[in-house]
Amino acid sequence: MNQSLRLLIIILPILVIGFFAKVLLVDDDIHFSNFESKNFPSFELNDLNGDPVNARSLDGIKIVNVWASWCITCLVEHPFLTKLAEKNIQIIGLNYKDSDFKANAWLERHGNPYLLSIYDPRGDLAFDLGVTGAPESYLIVNNQIVGHIQGEMNQTKWETIFLPLINEAKQGS
Amino acid sequence: MTIKRCLISFFLFILSTPAFNQMVYEFADPMQEKRFYSLISEIRCPKCTSGSIASSDVPVSRDLKNKVYELVLDGSSDKEIKQYVSERFGNFSNYRPALEGSNYILWFGPFIFLAIILAIFFIKRRV
Repeated sequence: MNQSLRLLIIILPILVIGFFAKVLLVDDDIHFSNFESKNFPSFELNDLNGDPVNARSLDGIKIVNVWASWCITCLVEHPFLTKLAEKNIQIIGLNYKDSDFKANAWLERHGNPYLLSIYDPRGDLAFDLGVTGAPESYLIVNNQIVGHIQGEMNQTKWETIFLPLINEAKQGS
Repeated sequence: MTIKRCLISFFLFILSTPAFNQMVYEFADPMQEKRFYSLISEIRCPKCTSGSIASSDVPVSRDLKNKVYELVLDGSSDKEIKQYVSERFGNFSNYRPALEGSNYILWFGPFIFLAIILAIFFIKRRV
């Protein structure tokens, strides 16, 4: 009895320290892979050309990327998004709290990887999506949000979070 | 004399700029005001490591405060407002998590842990 108690006294703190080490040291992005899926919020907005955006634009498998011309990290992730677009990944932009003039100039200057960009100058749709700042990316499968990445999209996040979900969606359809 | 006046105007202008940053929330009903300030101290800033939207001035916290203000004036209940926020920003947004599912560990974990420690302590004393 005494022996097992001693063992417990040694093991218990190790378990507690191990638990906290895991919670504190594991990369923050990982928990977004357990994202609870929900419907894409309804919206009535135009794209950057001034044309109304059709809800059918979100059919199939789409990435919705929140960006703005004032956002420095958006410029950092831009080459990676361009690479994805070249591989026929369909990306829809959500231009967040920006001016259409500046946004269009930004796209002209840096290239446009988006099928279209939804123009959300007040951030209404972004608020309903739970956007905390730009950039953020959502994986949409037939109008359902199934994945979410906060901050810069890169190769690691793409491969660990979005790609497995895309493969799963493709197998399901 | 003119330079002195210019300098005084300049410093007064500089001193007054923080006033532009502060959003003033006005309420006709003091009860609504009380609810508003209690709610914004219970909703977590989604962009911060720790802290409520009341103590944060990042853009998303400002948007959240404005929305809570709007909903309070519209007559939504505290529960409805918290649900509105957590539907968009997740359960993470609530500083007082609901008593359900995996949150049980959060609420009762420390007591279970304390009970184990006390049990060990008393068993050890008896031995």
